[in-house]
Parts: sequence; C-alpha cells; structure tokens
Amino acid sequence: MTVWLIKSLLLCLLNVAAALFLSPLCEGIMRKLRAAIHSRIGPPIWQPYWDLLKLLGKEDLRSTGGIVYASLPAFTLGSALLLAALIPMGTAAPLAFAGDMIVVIYVAAMSGVLLMLSGFASASPYASIGSSREMMMLLSVEPILAIALSVGAFKAKTLAVGGMVNWQVQNGPCISMAIAGVAFFLALQAVAGKLPFDIAEADQEIMGGPLVEQSGPRLALFRWAMWVKQLVLAFLLVEVFFPWPHLGSYLIDLIATIVKVLIVLVLVAVIDAVNPRLRIDQALGYYMRVAFSSLAALAFAVIGK
Amino acid sequence: MSTPDQVTVTRVKETVAARSDGALLSATVPHADTLQFTIEKTAMRAVVEGLVNELQARFMISVGTDKRPLTGDFAIVHLFSLDPEHLYVLLESPVSEKDLRIESITEVIAGANWAEREFRDAIGVHPEGHPDPRRLLLADDWPEGVYPLRRDFPYNYRPPRAENVRPQMREPPPGASVLPMGPFFPVLEEPAYWRLFVEGEMIVGCDTRLFYNHRGIEKLGDSALTYNEIPFLAERICGICGFIHSTCYCQAVEKAAGIEAPRRARYIRTIMLELERIHSHLLWLGIAGHIIGFETVLMQTWRIREPVMWLCEEISGNRKAYGMNTIGGLRRDLPDQIKPKLLETLAKVEREATTVRNAIIGDTTLHARTRGVGVLTNEWAKKICVVGPPARASGVAIDARIDHPYAAYDEIRPQIATQEAGDTWARVLVRVAELLDSIRLVREALAAIPGGPICAEIKEEIPPGRVGVSVVEAPRGEALHFVQTGGDNRPYRWRVRAPTYPNLQAMPAMVANANIADVPITLGSLDPCFSCTERLETLDKRTGEVRVYSHAEILEISRRRARSGGAR
Repeated sequence: MTVWLIKSLLLCLLNVAAALFLSPLCEGIMRKLRAAIHSRIGPPIWQPYWDLLKLLGKEDLRSTGGIVYASLPAFTLGSALLLAALIPMGTAAPLAFAGDMIVVIYVAAMSGVLLMLSGFASASPYASIGSSREMMMLLSVEPILAIALSVGAFKAKTLAVGGMVNWQVQNGPCISMAIAGVAFFLALQAVAGKLPFDIAEADQEIMGGPLVEQSGPRLALFRWAMWVKQLVLAFLLVEVFFPWPHLGSYLIDLIATIVKVLIVLVLVAVIDAVNPRLRIDQALGYYMRVAFSSLAALAFAVIGK
Repeated sequence: MSTPDQVTVTRVKETVAARSDGALLSATVPHADTLQFTIEKTAMRAVVEGLVNELQARFMISVGTDKRPLTGDFAIVHLFSLDPEHLYVLLESPVSEKDLRIESITEVIAGANWAEREFRDAIGVHPEGHPDPRRLLLADDWPEGVYPLRRDFPYNYRPPRAENVRPQMREPPPGASVLPMGPFFPVLEEPAYWRLFVEGEMIVGCDTRLFYNHRGIEKLGDSALTYNEIPFLAERICGICGFIHSTCYCQAVEKAAGIEAPRRARYIRTIMLELERIHSHLLWLGIAGHIIGFETVLMQTWRIREPVMWLCEEISGNRKAYGMNTIGGLRRDLPDQIKPKLLETLAKVEREATTVRNAIIGDTTLHARTRGVGVLTNEWAKKICVVGPPARASGVAIDARIDHPYAAYDEIRPQIATQEAGDTWARVLVRVAELLDSIRLVREALAAIPGGPICAEIKEEIPPGRVGVSVVEAPRGEALHFVQTGGDNRPYRWRVRAPTYPNLQAMPAMVANANIADVPITLGSLDPCFSCTERLETLDKRTGEVRVYSHAEILEISRRRARSGGAR
C-alpha cells in the first residue's frame, strides 16, 4: 500500500514537473517556428523562461482587492497542473485512481473558467468583453472534447483514460477514433488560445481581454497555465487517439510520444501563423460544425467502425 | 494644369449668378482651372445648394482667414471640385467683425461638418445652424474666446494651464454601455479617442475626440517661416507621405505665383510620389494584417517594403523627409547611376508583392474578416466627400492624378482602380491594384524622364494677394493645400487638408451595427493618419515647454544624423 502510494506520488510529481518545466520550452519552439514563417530570426527558444522569470520578479499590482481575485492566478496554474497529473504523459496516468474521463473534462475546463472569473472580477470593460468571449468559446469547445473522449470511452467500454489508451494500442486504428482525434485536434487550437481562435484575448481589439489588468507574477502564472494546458492536452490527444507505434520498449515509446506531441504543437503553431483572427460568431459557427462532425464519430463507434 | 471646357465654366457662372440672386460681389478666374466667386454671406447656402445639387460639385474644405488687416473683415472660403470637368470652384464670403456668423452648409453637404467646426475654433466665425456645437481642433483646456488663427494672435502664445478638464462627450443611448478605444490603443499608432456605444458585442453608436496631435503648423507657416522654409515643415506633417505634402505646398505656391517647374523636376516628383505610394501601401497592408492578427502578412510586407526605403535613402539621404522639394522645383537631382538599381528593386518588389497578393486573394479566413465589413455605401461616400481608396472602393471614381493632373501625370497616365462593394475587402483590392500600378508608373517615368534643369529661376518676389489650390493624390487619398500669398516672403494663409480629414468623418456610418471585433479593421481600412489631419508644435513632455525648431536647428539636427552614419 505504502509503496504504491509513494510510487503514485512520485509519478505525479514527475508529470507535474515535466509539464511545468517543459511547457515554456515548447512555447519557445513554437515562437521560433512562427518567426521562421515570418522571415524573422525570432527570440531564442529559452525566451519564455526569461519572460516568466522577469514577470515573477515584478511588483504584484492588483486592480481590485479581495481574496478570490488575488488567488485566481495560482488556482489557474494549479488546475492546469492537476490536469497533468490526471492524464498519461508517457506513463500511466498517476492519479487515474482518483478520476476518470469525466474529471479530466471538468479539470480541463477549470483554467478557462478561472481566467474568465478573473476577467469579470477585474472590472475593466475590455476584460468583461474578453471574459464573455472566453465563456462562449468554452461552451462551444468543451462539448467537442467531451464527445471525442466519449467515443474512446464507448469503444473501450471504460471511462478511465488509461483504459482507452490500452484499448487503442491493442485494437489499432479505426474510423471513429480517427475522426474524434481530428475533432480533438481542431478544438486544441482554441483551448491553447492560438489564432485564428485567440478571440478572447484579441490584443488588437480588446487589449488582451481577461488579461488586460494582469501584470507581473499574476500574468506569469496565467501565461504559464496556458502553456501547461496546451502541452498537457497535446499529450492527451497523442496518447488517447494516436498511441502507436507501441513497441513495448518504454524508452522508445516515450521518445515516440514526445516526437508526436511536438508534431501536434508544430501544426498548432503553423495554423496560428497563417491565419487571421476570426470573429466570435464565425468561430462559434465553425466549432458548431466541428461538434456535429464529431457526432459522426460517435455514430461510427455505435455501428462498430 | 488641365483646362476645363468653356461650357462648364459658363454653366458654373450661370448657376452661381442665378442662386446668389444679386448678392454676387465679384467673379474672377485666378487660374485656368480655378473659378473664384465672392458673394454675400446671406447667399452662401443657396449657392452651395446649387453647386452640390445641380453640378454635383464635391466639397473639399473650408478656409477661414482673418483678413482684417487687408479688407477689415474675416473671410470664409468654401472649396469645391468638379472632378470630371477638372475645375476648382472657390466661394468666398466676407464676414464682418460685428456679426461673426455665417449660415452653416453642413445640412446641405454632410462633409462640411468638421471644416465648419474648425474655422469656428480657429478664427471664431460661427457656422449658424451647425448640428455639433463642440470643439474640434482646440484642446479642452484652451481658454474661451482665444482664436489661434487670427492675425493678432502670436504663434508662441502659451495658454494658462487648466486643471480637471475633460472632453465633452455624448452620453450613450439608454441600455448601451461605453467601450473606450483610446486615447491610447494598441492598433492606433497615434492618439485618438473613440467612445463606442455597445450592446453586447454590437455597436449602436459612437463618439470621437480627435486632434490630440495638433501642432499648429498652419500658424507657423503664416507667421514664423518663409516660403522656402515651409517645405521642410510641410514634409513633417506626415511620417509616411511627407513628400506628398511638400509637393502639394510647392505646387500651390508655384501656381499662385505663376512659376512653372521644369519638366525634369516634375518627373522626379512623380517618381518620388509613386515610390511613397508603393511603400505606404505595403505598410498599410501589413498593418491591416496586424489588426486582424495576421502577423505573417505584417512581417512579410514590411520585409518587401524595406528595400524601397533604402532606395529613398540612397536618392535623398533620408528614409523619410527627403528635403528635396523647393518652390519652383527640386533641391536635389535624381542621379542617373541609381536607375539600374531602382529598376532592379522595383522588379523584386513587384515579384514579391504579386506573391503576397496571390496568397491573400484566395485566403477564405481573410475574406470572412473583410467581406461585408465596414461597408461605406456609394451614397454616403459622396455625402461625406470621402477621397482616395475608400472613395474608389465605394464606386466613386475620383483620383487627383487624373482629375487635376500635376507633376508629370499629364504624360504618365495612372490606371484608376475602382470597386463597387464599399467594404474592407474592396479597399484591400483597390490598394493592391494601385501598388502594382505605381510600379508601372515609376518604370514609365524613368524611361521618359527628360534632361535639363531641376529648378526654375525665380527673379521676382512672389506677389501678394494671389491664391493657389493644389491637390496631390496621396496613398490615403487626395491631399489639398491652399495658399494665399502674403507680403513678407511668406503666405498670408496656408491651409492644409489631409486625406484622412474627410475619410475619418465616414467612420460613424461605417461602424453602425457592426461587431466590436470589426471596428479596428474598419478604422484601419481607412488608413488613417492622425498627425496629417491634426498638425501642431512639438511639445517637450518633461518640461511642458513648446519648442519650435528653426530652419537652422533642423538643418543642424539632420546634418548631425547624417554624420553619425544613420540607421543603416
């Protein structure tokens, strides 16, 4: 019992530490790629670390008082890290005993909700418009994540994320999971707050939306949370929907997973660089169509494809 | 200068005579393409109605002048253009100091709104029946009853500091909330204050406060500088289209004084003007991309633009503010050895700009963000007298280069680019077409450029009391300079109207019922230039001291910069 607990805790720490300390590196790689598409040299790939250090060292300024507002950034990063502990990142999900797919969906939505709350709490018109946009995006993107994971649950006849991964590894690719995977990937673009769906922040329209009043360490934590989230969800996508090739050698599988995650992030960065920002109504229409398409995946799963 | 046909001239004269109903004081023809009428102020509105409704004249600007030292009265001049007929019509009315009122023409022609507010602020003549009683040009803490463009007002006057002043802004309609854009806002490169009245994401109205950049350039021109110093100041009206303003000013003075610039100078002016259009349109395309979050377009177009700036630096010594124009021609020749390099750069820019055009024309996401966005109908474009690409994108086929040919545009004919849709996408298409046409124009001008002198010899002093109207098609639209010559080697009145001045007035009509997300790109699609529109003295923020750079100082600063090697 104790050995199991210690092992779980260690794996938990490993996942959290990996998400926490590698996510800025991934962001750095994405920035570098963006710069290449722009014909720029771009910042060094370590730049996000320096950004975080700089922001963390600054004065903590708050536009409003109140304990809830003050603690929101920490909770946001915390929720993203909790998500990291709930999903398999190259190993079995360390906290799998504590929560299944339903919990994953809830926790994935948490950081968005917290960001939205801090926007509403900061009493700026830009932040409240940004927060209402964030809410609309959340409501249109979360169902897609839920439907995509439900397809996996239906196929594997289990709600446990680890169970889905095992089922996929054993049974190989199928149409329904492929469609669900694509839908999940399209939703990832919005969850990561990348163009053409960075509508809630939209610097040129509403000056960062919910983040407009955030600065210094608070901004650092919000940014960090978003980077963690994009990395963790990329892992979730790769593990659940594209877990092959599974050779059984732990090291090779881990390397393959990391390469696949990087490919996903590179695709996200490329889409980000070659698109202008959509308007909120256009984005909602787009995700409505994606959601209906992902229902097709569910239909395929029902007929056993 | 192209000559209008006699039938039109007669028709204009008849219309003015009939409408003024005996109140016509004088009718003169200062230049072949300019008709000037002096009428009693009581008849002004009727005559304007006649010009606008019967002759489809386009309102350009109003000029308020303090003529008390000359005639004892103030004078209000409304400028109109009959574009297809290549004719300017000036309607002047004396306004006595005892009764400082003149009937407003804003109800007749909506585009006169700002122009009338401006002369009320500047010389204190009140447009009676004007719908907007608020200040336009003067700062909110400027004392009441002090009119900066009156002759007895010193250019270096400093008003007392006022505390707790706020712009007078309208209240939002019931149920709507206010979303401020500005005075400082990420996508506005310059200060401007827009108050958007929103219900959710929908705009139900807006209000503006502008002229934060007013630098009093016109006042300096008619009180502190001389004819040949003004081109340097005119060039600094705008950071992008400086050469346009200095050319426009020089042409106005040349016209007033009857000086003919040599052909070679006219060709070189054409080349520089078109180079400015090329780099300005590339700049705009990048900014438009940036506004809708399309940074790749920004980075690529600005990379393509850069060699054009290097060329300008090689020709004139500066990336911007070339200092080439002077009354009667140019101060600096176009060296022959730069021709091959110029052609080579143009070929590269053309190739790369075509690639960008092909990439954006098929981009469906871009269509989604620009089609049907910020629509300016043909009717409103005419009412507000919009100029340049916004007008042409709404089906108003006006282009100063064709309607009032100047420089070498009588021989190098531009291709007018028009669209009917009036939306942001149409404005993109118009500018991209113009960009490629400008490259052709520079090539043709380089092939046809004659030899000879670059500046006319001016033997006599410029006679006082003459007027000159000059327009130049800037990248943003038609820039206009009006000069009335004075006695002490400087203009008596110098009036500048930048293209953004009429274009910005179309903004409320364009954003009504739009989504918040569409406001920045709609504003951006006008390619607004607030400094051009506003114009003042430089202000040192730390000491609050107003500083006016003299010719010698400007010269010294630019020499220092040149010696230090410049930016590149």
